[in-house]
Amino acid sequence: MSTWARWTSSLRRYLDMAFSDQEIEEFKTEALEMLDAAEKSLLSLDGAAAFKPAFDTVFRCFHNLKGGAGVMELTALQTHTHELENILMGFQNKGVIPAEYVSLFLRGIDGARTLLEGQTIDFNFDVSVEVTKPQVAKPEVGNLEAATNNSASTAAPSSSLFGTNEEFVVECEERVERISKSLQQIENGDHSKELIDSIYRDVHSLKGVAYLFSYGNLGDLSHGIESSLEILRTGSHVPSKILINVLFKCVELIELEVTCIKAKMDNSEIKGLVGNILRMLSEATAALEPALIQAEPSQTVPQTATTAAKIPAAANHPPTAESAAELSSIRVSVPLLDNLMTLMGEMVLVRNQVIQFSNTSENMEFVNLSKRLNVVTSEIQGELMKTRMQPIGNVLGKFSRVVRDLSGELGKQIAIELQGADTELDKSLLEAIKDPLTHIVRNSCDHGIEMPETRRQAGKPIGGRITIKSYHEGGQVVIEIADDGKGLNSDLLLRKGIEKGLITEARAKTMNEKEIFNLIFAPGFSTAAKVTNVSGRGVGMDVVRTNIEKIGGTVELSSVTGTGTTIRIKIPLTLAIVPALIVNSGKNIFAIPQVKLVELVRVDQSSESKVEYLHGAPVFRLRGSILPLVDLDQLLGVAKTKEKPAVLNIAVLNAEHCSFGLIVEEVQDTADIVVKPINRLLKSLQVYSGATVLGDGSVALILDVLGLSKVAQIGKEELNADDSNGERSLKKNKTSDVQDYLLVRVNSPTKHAMVLGYVNRLEEFDTNAVELSGAQRVIRYGDTILPLISANLRLGYAATVRDVTSGKFPVVVVERAGCLYGIEVDEIIDTLSSSLEISSSLAAGGAISGNLNTKDELVVVVDPFELILQTFPHLKSVVVAGEKVVARHAPRAAGPMRILLVEDTPFFRRAIANVLLSGGYEIVTASDGQEAVEILNSDEVSFDLLVTDIEMPRMNGFELAKSVRSNPKFETLPMLAISSRADKSHVQKGVAAGFNVYLEKLQAETLLSMVSELIGPARRAA
Amino acid sequence: MTEQLTTFRIGEDVFGIEVMKVQEVTGPPTIVDVPLAPSFVRGLINLRGQIATALGLRELFGFKTQAEAQMSVVCKIDGNLVSLIVDSIGDVVEVSRNAFEKPPETIPADVRKFIKGIYKTNDSLLSVLDLDRLSKELSNSKE
Repeated sequence: MSTWARWTSSLRRYLDMAFSDQEIEEFKTEALEMLDAAEKSLLSLDGAAAFKPAFDTVFRCFHNLKGGAGVMELTALQTHTHELENILMGFQNKGVIPAEYVSLFLRGIDGARTLLEGQTIDFNFDVSVEVTKPQVAKPEVGNLEAATNNSASTAAPSSSLFGTNEEFVVECEERVERISKSLQQIENGDHSKELIDSIYRDVHSLKGVAYLFSYGNLGDLSHGIESSLEILRTGSHVPSKILINVLFKCVELIELEVTCIKAKMDNSEIKGLVGNILRMLSEATAALEPALIQAEPSQTVPQTATTAAKIPAAANHPPTAESAAELSSIRVSVPLLDNLMTLMGEMVLVRNQVIQFSNTSENMEFVNLSKRLNVVTSEIQGELMKTRMQPIGNVLGKFSRVVRDLSGELGKQIAIELQGADTELDKSLLEAIKDPLTHIVRNSCDHGIEMPETRRQAGKPIGGRITIKSYHEGGQVVIEIADDGKGLNSDLLLRKGIEKGLITEARAKTMNEKEIFNLIFAPGFSTAAKVTNVSGRGVGMDVVRTNIEKIGGTVELSSVTGTGTTIRIKIPLTLAIVPALIVNSGKNIFAIPQVKLVELVRVDQSSESKVEYLHGAPVFRLRGSILPLVDLDQLLGVAKTKEKPAVLNIAVLNAEHCSFGLIVEEVQDTADIVVKPINRLLKSLQVYSGATVLGDGSVALILDVLGLSKVAQIGKEELNADDSNGERSLKKNKTSDVQDYLLVRVNSPTKHAMVLGYVNRLEEFDTNAVELSGAQRVIRYGDTILPLISANLRLGYAATVRDVTSGKFPVVVVERAGCLYGIEVDEIIDTLSSSLEISSSLAAGGAISGNLNTKDELVVVVDPFELILQTFPHLKSVVVAGEKVVARHAPRAAGPMRILLVEDTPFFRRAIANVLLSGGYEIVTASDGQEAVEILNSDEVSFDLLVTDIEMPRMNGFELAKSVRSNPKFETLPMLAISSRADKSHVQKGVAAGFNVYLEKLQAETLLSMVSELIGPARRAA
Repeated sequence: MTEQLTTFRIGEDVFGIEVMKVQEVTGPPTIVDVPLAPSFVRGLINLRGQIATALGLRELFGFKTQAEAQMSVVCKIDGNLVSLIVDSIGDVVEVSRNAFEKPPETIPADVRKFIKGIYKTNDSLLSVLDLDRLSKELSNSKE
């Protein structure tokens, strides 16, 4: 039985305690780090790196992971890594690992990662390539140890290991320190299992590493401690004083040994001590009494003393002082660093305040001191920043693997070149850019680099190249990902853009190259001819951009067709402190992050280049192109302190898709600000991203440039598209203009249509079921009687000859004022969605509303209510007048009477609007009650009358009426309801809600006469 | 069971907050206006380098006028610093849980939702402010 199996089985026996989440998490982090290191080494083996150090790293990874997995009871991971370790051992002395095995190990590392995530894998350890397996026996780990034990007699570590020596020593020292701390606690009487377990884990790891590096003494010592701890871990025995003493001696000896290794000193003296102390250890362990009985002091004590005396003698010569300086790294917890950063931020603020104060001071000594403080603080700030910095290579390194895998998968030859991998970046930022970068690299491999054949034909080298360059520039980190692939194709981008409805054809003609390239950042955009599993799912570059911008960075793209694409990412060095421009608006102070600031423009209104007004909106001609302007004071509703100033300050800002100029009252200075979060309520105002405390202690709000542009509605195309003929839609929603119709056939070559919204049900009745009530043909329909109306008869077509004795006929059931009516048609064809206007034809009038001129044919639109009214003339349209409050409502001062029309169905919105427009009224439309309330409350326009539908989404007509009436401003605003739901209960409810008039669905004459009765004619008497 | 409450006045009414929730009481602070924010958000305060949101309890409870004197009661709710702007500060009182009652239905709903309950003391009725409810109001986005 191999050693590892023995340990793990014994461990499992003793481990009845579950691990805490934190422990598992720690193990995971450590394991992932190890796997990363192993992967890197494997990839370096691919190249020409020295074999031995790389091999050792990989081996250590597998071995330690196996051990750890055993302790953590992750059996699958343990078996997995064990198998990998065994295969790897076969190459120990070969000096080279064949490429197919490197691939196998890489796959194995992926597998281990999956296992760490708690998922299962089905792993095939066979090398897929048919190269014969190397004829090496897979040595058991036990054999390995035997081997290393032998070599341990030579004691001195082999020179090839020196590269990793330093790392090893640091690790040992860490572990030893932990062990002695735990031992101390045990000595103080804490015999808890956790403590013993923690020592156990440490010595176990120590042993593994020591044997691997052929440090026999160290391995033997650790092994000894481990064995003696095994019995303690059962809990059946408590450690005796003697045992603890001996354990301490062991640890001391280990420390000594490590010092020797560090100083590369002869350790032969220690070797003698090791055997001695191990013997004492086993004796002390054997002498342990069962739990709760304190072991008596025994004769071993003097022996211990003698050993103790010997150790200092051996320790005399290692020059500890000078070698200790070589290894100087400690681990500090991230929260501690975060705290330090926060405090640093505070300190910077205080510094700013002091400096501001010193500017006004006459005291030279104070001024000098504050200058000194300034310098020192800046230095501390810089140094402290570095503590969180990590080389970007930690992330970029992974891409070697990504590219290697992808090139295999895609059948391309791609090399990756990393430049400036030592550029440092805040760790949190590093994490944040990992995914976006991966995405870009994958894109470059998949879309950028061509297939080898294509490249050859284009006269390029067959192998493609991706270069990732990172460097500092102007306080930011720039990462450039460049490929020498086919570049972006403007024509293709434009075509796709039009196809996906992102741009109009007219727009496409005027776009410059940069704008075209920026299309790939639009949501849902993908140029890949087909979706591969590598990229092209259309969730790509917009997410990349969003993620980069979230951390305050920017993405730029440039491309030359045929020669390649370059993507430049600029990110701030750190998140906590941001350079910003401070501006004033009245007494309010705002900060604008410098990243978003393009330039500052000062405009003299008396000069030639001044702010101009385009349809009331301020714009500025900046180097030939028009820059939309936003007045910060107006946007925030802050009252202007002065009349229009002669000189305007414009901060040109860069929002996601556009630039705009922000008119600010006063520009102050630039400053490094510390971003403080604000609560959600204030964030939801969209215009602020945070707050900060300025040098003088005052609070400034940080403007959210993207949010500003949203609130100011910049960069949104086509608002108010149909401003023509008096209709003004404040919120334009293109899709809502599509109206659904039911297509039916009557005895006419033309198809007929009814608005689908009016159709209650579609039925098919048996001809036999028709009965007569007087002259009226009816059908018993559930509890009620359904009168039948022949569409043919009413529309003036010949009746369709039907087999009277049998057969079925289709009926469109329509509800009117609480009653159901059946409209007989010849055939129900289909539904039709159309955004076309209904053109009133010559034949229009009566039951025909007009025609739809579709692409293929003409469709006649029929009004089912008119059909019903024609059949039953006694059912006059329901008109109910509520309380007449007209006289009390003060009409607007000037212009034609203005009506707010609220209707959710686009068809009727247009129809009613047309009727009212024909009466000369001015119309503003809203598509539901909610929008109507918003328009009314916006105070932008005032109204003389509200005309509304009842059935509407979000806020129906009743709710709207109540809401309007509850506002004292609109207490007397006349309101008119138009609804097909005009049965008694609805009408009553309407009157109760405050409607002055309740009309049945649109009847032009009635509507106009009622409106006129309520508010008078459209034109006021002058 | 007793509870200690920091008391303060708004108009004629006496309110209380659990004493442990109060970080400090200061005089009228310098408040920086936040344009576009709802009226009960008075603005932001620099509290020794930390930013606190100032809430006008008068606005919150529908008072149309401002008091002449103002005090700030700083509490930490869910890790956020909040300064409650009140008219004046009273004593810390110890009240018995037995004297606690739910707020009566007749209190306007806008006020009632911020009140946990009422303590009947000898000389007055003490409304206990529901800080959690207040914090919820702040973490709600406007839309």
